Amino acid sequence: MKVSFNELQAVSRKAFMGIGFSEGHAEDAADMVTWMESYDLHGLDALNKGLEHLIADNPATLPTIVYQDGDVAVVNGQDLSVLRSCNLALELAFAKGRARGLSVIKIQRCRQRQLIMGYLARLAGRGMNLTAFWRNAQQPLTEQVVGFRANSTVPSIRVYSVEEVPEENEPNNGITIIMANHVDLLPTMRSDYRYDLLAKHEEADLLAARERAMTNGIEVDDVVWEQLHKLAQATLVESFDVSHLGAGPAD
Amino acid sequence: MIDLASPAALATPVTRAPGLVMDLERLGSFNATRLSFARTLIRVMGRQRWQISCDLFDLNTHGHGEVIYRVQTPNGRYHVVIFSQPLDDALRSDRVIADAWDITFGLVEGDVEEALMQSLAENIPLQEAGRQHPRLLVISRANKSVRNFETVVTDLATGVQPSLESFTEGGYLYRTTAVYGNGKFGIADYGRLRTNPDFRHPFSAQMTAVYVLRQFSIDQVEFLARSRAPETAIALAQPLKRYLGIGNSTGLGMAPFLINHPQLIDQWVHAREQALAIAKSQPPDELARDRLLILGRRAQQFFKETTVEDADQQGRNQMVVAELEGIIDWLEQIPLDLDLWQQLTDWAEAALSLESQELINGLLIELYPQYVDFLEDAMAVEERMELTPDMPLVQLKQLIETHFDWALAEDFDTPEASHWFWYRSIEKEEPRLGVRGIDPGAEKELSLAVAPRVKRTYGKISEYLEQNPRSLTVEFLMAEPSFVDIVRRIQTMAATAYGEIRANLWHRDMRPIHLLRTKLSFLGANRFDPRGDRWVRVTFFQGAPLIEELNNEPADLTAFDDWSFPLAPTSLKQQETYESLL
Repeated sequence: MKVSFNELQAVSRKAFMGIGFSEGHAEDAADMVTWMESYDLHGLDALNKGLEHLIADNPATLPTIVYQDGDVAVVNGQDLSVLRSCNLALELAFAKGRARGLSVIKIQRCRQRQLIMGYLARLAGRGMNLTAFWRNAQQPLTEQVVGFRANSTVPSIRVYSVEEVPEENEPNNGITIIMANHVDLLPTMRSDYRYDLLAKHEEADLLAARERAMTNGIEVDDVVWEQLHKLAQATLVESFDVSHLGAGPAD
Repeated sequence: MIDLASPAALATPVTRAPGLVMDLERLGSFNATRLSFARTLIRVMGRQRWQISCDLFDLNTHGHGEVIYRVQTPNGRYHVVIFSQPLDDALRSDRVIADAWDITFGLVEGDVEEALMQSLAENIPLQEAGRQHPRLLVISRANKSVRNFETVVTDLATGVQPSLESFTEGGYLYRTTAVYGNGKFGIADYGRLRTNPDFRHPFSAQMTAVYVLRQFSIDQVEFLARSRAPETAIALAQPLKRYLGIGNSTGLGMAPFLINHPQLIDQWVHAREQALAIAKSQPPDELARDRLLILGRRAQQFFKETTVEDADQQGRNQMVVAELEGIIDWLEQIPLDLDLWQQLTDWAEAALSLESQELINGLLIELYPQYVDFLEDAMAVEERMELTPDMPLVQLKQLIETHFDWALAEDFDTPEASHWFWYRSIEKEEPRLGVRGIDPGAEKELSLAVAPRVKRTYGKISEYLEQNPRSLTVEFLMAEPSFVDIVRRIQTMAATAYGEIRANLWHRDMRPIHLLRTKLSFLGANRFDPRGDRWVRVTFFQGAPLIEELNNEPADLTAFDDWSFPLAPTSLKQQETYESLL
């Protein structure tokens, strides 16, 4: 079915509140999902794949700062979805980038990393150049780089598979973000190793997708839509006698 | 920020203090002004020579069927598609939980092809329960004002012009109960309208749909009269047509908008305050004084003719009538001092009711279209609340003390100060008010009451600063993430003057009706008729030029725009016209 941008944003926000997000985090998470969906970057698919886990997350668990100095921060994402854990970590990096010209943040142990793009777009809109990198632990190994130019809300995205990489045993379910006040950080493929480019999203294609979404609406899966509505129900109060008074004047 | 380009101004216009303007009761005393969206729309339509015509009028003898009006602008073509259907009297309800109406309608971008018409016919009558087409810019529904409607049809059928009594009470034949825009139920997002030159002003698409509905109400009663008695039926007299508006019944559903869009509210109020400041800084002359006297007398007559059910509002209207008498006397005699308008508003502020004060302010704005009308383009804003994460926390604390002192001053721990809570009901997800400690649902409270949240945030920040005196805002938020939205709001709104309504929305004495009137005044409503504290009936476009006048491409756009405070056709200048028709 087709829904509007505003509708998707509103229902997602209520759904996130329904599963225990605070209001501000629910707003941010809804914006992140809807932003991706409006650029045809499959935000709802990404949400849906991790939805069960997201619902099961303990809302009281907070990401923690493992290390920080003026330029660098390492944050433990506590195996939470980026929807729960990343907005403030990214704001921390943003503050450092502003102060020092360039900052690096590693968010360890986080899920649904794809969805981080929506918040990166927001920071880029505030005048920050940035690039995010993460690696998916699958065969073949794939890497994803997402870059935003300052004041542009449209990313440049590269997804590629690599084969000839040194062995490593450390789990890598984190994400690394570099922010720079004045330097363009858009990804350009240049490697001595063999790689296969799996996806390349150019600005023009993304803008066209956005235009389509605003003109024709956003196609969403009926089941996912239903699920979001169901989760949103938890924010609503059952009807009772007195509540009818608010529904309008007596007829 | 808009630069003031007013060569005739006496001095730099000074806007009023936010603490004065943003008081809820004062906001709840606002009337429509020339910057209200209905007024702006009519001006734009006249200036740009919009043409509105009927493409399809397919009604049966009961007035049921489909009607399509075409709206042609210099930039595009739109259609208002109306579905009129039978409705059992028992089902006719202003309640938001209703699911059937006399008519449902929508404003469509572009042409209405057969396939689209099919989709509209299947979904528009369902309103919230339908899946609406993305080319719809607005959907709405309306119910007949049954008694007026039937009387007007019967009178016209028998060859008699309806008596004024059918019009003076509400001034309409149809009353809308919700007018949806911005992506609701699948229709087009506001994001699309922002770049549309025809509808870039806030709510202009909604106002267009309502304006065309007014024409439908006229066309339908005339059609029904002709159907009933082709031999004797007459058309509605032109002055009576003009005196017809469209009613609207509005409830708590409108309240969250005022709180959730503080940047937009700031823009609206700021524009109004700028216009007032510009007007007050003009040197008065005889022409301006005469104009103000004419407007004052017209407003006075309007309030004399307005009857509302709500005793409190009726009393307020009567007070306006009495106070305007004194103002008119004073204005007729006072010398034309350079600061006359300032003297007038100072006097009003010191001695008159809020209703009269804000009415005078609106009339002053009316005097100087050449200096204030540019502000109609300053009503829209891209809303974005952003965090300033690197702001030292101590600075955030100081921002709260400076800009939210009104919130810190309230004690929220008393039973009366925390009496209400706002929640969203499962019934159409509409906002409601519950009594804390008595009604269920407080755990699902909507965070509409900004003041207690600011005060709580202030307390948390103060505690955190004791341990971390040099910390940044983002460090506080990493420790207390649930405060992110209110901190964002505080940081954003501290840079504005008029976005925050200075009231405790939990307080037992808080009247939600003031919130509704605030927004309705900017939309351009008049005849505020509260039904208790949570609902209000109003009228739009009463007195506005008719579509036939618009289509005639008015030569005098000033006269075309002069339709505030419409009088019954028997009053003043229109009296002769009406009597000649009887």
